[in-house]
Amino acid sequence: MENFIDFFMLRDPNVAWVVGGIICITAAAAIVGTFTLLRKQALIGDAVSHAILPGVCLAFIIAQTKNPMILLIGATISGWLGLLAINYLSDKTKLKGDAALGLVLSVFYGLGIVLLTAIQQSGNAAQAGLDKFLFGKAAALVRDDAITFAIFSFVLITIVFLFYQPFKLVVFDKDYALAKGLPVRRLEVLLSILTVSAIALGIQAVGVVLMAALLIAPAAAARYWTNSLSWMLVLSTVFAILAGLIGTYISYTVPRMPTGPWIVSILSVFALGSIFLGRKKGLLARYLNQRFHKEKMLKENILKVLWHLGEADQNFEAFRSVDQMQERRFIPLPQLRRGSKKLVLEGSLIRKEQKFALSPEGKEEGERIIRIHRMWELYLTTHMNLPADHVHEDAEAIEHVITPEIEAELAKVLEGAEKDPHASPIPYKE
Amino acid sequence: MIKQVPDPVLELHNLTVVYESKPALWNVDYTIPENHLIGVVGPNGSGKSTMLKALMGLVKPSSGYAHVYGKEIDEVRQRIAYVPQRNSVDWDFPVNVFDAVLMGRYKANNLFRRVSKADKEIAMEAIKKVQLEPFVKRQISQLSGGQQQRVFIARALAQEADMYLLDEPFAGVDAATENSIMSLLKEMNANGKTILVVHHDLQSVKDYFDWLLLMNTRLIASGPTEEVFTEDMLQKTYGGKLNILSRVVEIIEKQGHPIREK
Ligand SMILES: Nc1ncnc2c1ncn2[C@@H]1O[C@H](COP(=O)(O)OP(=O)(O)OP(=O)(O)O)[C@@H](O)[C@H]1O
Ligand SMILES: [Mg+2]
Repeated sequence: MENFIDFFMLRDPNVAWVVGGIICITAAAAIVGTFTLLRKQALIGDAVSHAILPGVCLAFIIAQTKNPMILLIGATISGWLGLLAINYLSDKTKLKGDAALGLVLSVFYGLGIVLLTAIQQSGNAAQAGLDKFLFGKAAALVRDDAITFAIFSFVLITIVFLFYQPFKLVVFDKDYALAKGLPVRRLEVLLSILTVSAIALGIQAVGVVLMAALLIAPAAAARYWTNSLSWMLVLSTVFAILAGLIGTYISYTVPRMPTGPWIVSILSVFALGSIFLGRKKGLLARYLNQRFHKEKMLKENILKVLWHLGEADQNFEAFRSVDQMQERRFIPLPQLRRGSKKLVLEGSLIRKEQKFALSPEGKEEGERIIRIHRMWELYLTTHMNLPADHVHEDAEAIEHVITPEIEAELAKVLEGAEKDPHASPIPYKE
Repeated sequence: MIKQVPDPVLELHNLTVVYESKPALWNVDYTIPENHLIGVVGPNGSGKSTMLKALMGLVKPSSGYAHVYGKEIDEVRQRIAYVPQRNSVDWDFPVNVFDAVLMGRYKANNLFRRVSKADKEIAMEAIKKVQLEPFVKRQISQLSGGQQQRVFIARALAQEADMYLLDEPFAGVDAATENSIMSLLKEMNANGKTILVVHHDLQSVKDYFDWLLLMNTRLIASGPTEEVFTEDMLQKTYGGKLNILSRVVEIIEKQGHPIREK
C-alpha cells in the first residue's frame, strides 16, 4: 500500500520521470496505432517492432553509449529498413504479403539477437540494461529518457493532430482521396514514418517482442466503445496510459519483473473487457440498451396519458394530479414519479406543486405517439385485415418503435384517412 | 461507330492501360461534348472502372492520354467529382454518415484547413438531396447497400463539381432509390453538369442517357444513344464470349507479352 501511494503520488522524483515517460510512450503508441489498426497493418507493426532490435544494438556498438536519443535514431532507421524490405519483397517478388512479413521479422530479429549476445559477452560495463529492449523495463527510465521521449511523442501526436482530416480520408477511401488530388503517397509515407517512430519509442516500455500489442490492442479495445474516429483516439490513449502505468507500477514493486508482459497483460484485460462490455456490441451494452428503451416507453406513456386527458376536455395545458393520471392509465406510482421528474427536466412537462401539465414540446411529442398509435391500428385493420378489436395491444408496443421515415410511409399508405378503427381522430401535423 | 466531336469535355486519346501484363483498356479513343448524361456499358471486366480511373488519373496509362475540359486532370480536379464503386472501401470504418459526406468538402490544396460551418451546411444539403437525413448520425456500416451508395453520391454532391463520374451507382439499389437518384442526376444535367455513369441495366439505357459508350476492353462505340444503342453494337459488345479480342487478351496475359513496343 505504501508502495502504491509512493508511486502514484510521485513522492520519489525518479518515479515522476518514469510515470511521465510512460504516459508519453503509451499515448503516442495508441494514437498512431489507431491508424495502424484501421489501415489493417497490425502484422506489419509486429514485423517492424522486431526489425528494430538490430538498429538499437548497432547504435550502441557504434556510439558506445545508451543515450536514449542515439538509440532511438538507430531504432527508427532499422525499423524503416524493415518496412522497406517488406514492401519491396511483396511488391517485387512472388512472395505473398505474409511471407514477406515473416521473412523480415525473423531475419532482422535473429540479427538483433546475435548482436545483443555479442554485446553482452564483450564485457563492456555500459551495456548493462540493454537487454531491456527485449521485454521492456520502463521502471528503469531516468530523467534524460523521459525528456527525450516527451519531445519525441509530442512531435508524433502533433503531426497526427495536424493531418487528422487528410489521414482520415486516405485511410477510409484512398481512391477518392487520390481523385480529389490529395498527396496520398506522401501521406501514406508519413503515416508509416509515424508508425515506425511510435514503435521505436514504445519498445522502451514494452520491448520489441510485445510492442505490436501496445500499438494495436488499445485501438482494438476502443473500437468496441465507439463508432467515431476521434473518440476512438481518445479512448485508446486512455486505455494505453492506464495499462502503462499499472504495468510499470507492478514492475516497480517487483523490480525483477520486466514491464512489457505486464503492460500487455493489462491491455489484454482491457481488450477482453471491451468485448464483453463495449457500448456498441458488448453484453453490458445490450442490458443498458434495454433499460434505455424501458425508460423511453415510460416517458412516452406519461405524455400519452396527459395528451389523452387533454383530448377528453379539449384542454391540453391543464395541470393534472398524479391520481388523475393513474385513473386514465395505471402506471405504478414510483415509476410515474420518476418518469415525470425526468420529463420536467427535459422540458416536456411543467410542474406546479403536485400537478403536471404538458409543455408545447411535450404536447407535440404526446401527439406524435398517439398519431402513430392510431395510424398503426388503422393500417393493421385496412392493410393486414386484422379485426379492429385485436389491434390495440399491437399498437401499444409499436408506437414506441416507429421512426419518422416509417411514419411518413404509413401516412402515405393511409392516404390521409381521418379516423382510426375505433373512430378516434388521427391528430395529423398541420 | 465512334463519333468524334470538336471541343470535347472528355477526351481519351489512344489510351491503353495494362495491369501487370493484362490489358484492361486497349487503344480507347473518344471525345464527348459538354453537358451530356453519358452511359458507360459493357460486360464485367471490360474496363469500365479502369476507364474512370484513367480519367481521374488513378491509374497510369501505358500509352495515350486522358484530357478533361481540354486539360490534364491535375489542373481541373476541383471541378470533377468521382464516385467509386461501393465495394472499394471498408464500411466498418469509424465514421458516421455526416462525417463521410463532409469528406467531400476537404480541400487538396490546403491539408490543414478544418471544415467550416458553411462546409457543414453544404454537406447537410447534399444529404437531404439523397434523402439520408434520418441517418445522419448513423455509423456507415449500419446502412443498407443502397444507403451506402447514396452516402457516396452525397459526398460527391458536397464537392459542388461541374462534372460527375459515377461507377455503378445503381448496383444493389432498389427501384425507388434508383428513380430518385436518376431524377437528381437529370436535374443536375439540366443545370449544365456533365454526368458519366457506369451502368449495367440495358433496359433503362435509352431512358437514362443521351450519350453512350459501349466497351469491351476496346471501345466499341461512342455517340448519341439513339445512334449507338443498336442490336448490332450490343452484339459486338457482349457477343460470343470467346471473340477474337478476348482470345488475344488471354494470350497476352499468359505469355506476359508486352502490348506496346517501347
Ligand atoms: N488492380 C488491378 N490489378 C490487376 N488487374 C486488375 C486490377 N483492376 C482491374 N483489373 C483487371 O482489369 C480488367 C478490367 O477491370 P475493371 O474493373 O475496369 O472492369 P469493369 O468493367 O469495371 O468490371 P465490373 O463490371 O465487374 O465492375 C479486369 O479483367 C480486371 O480483372
Ligand atoms: Mg467496375
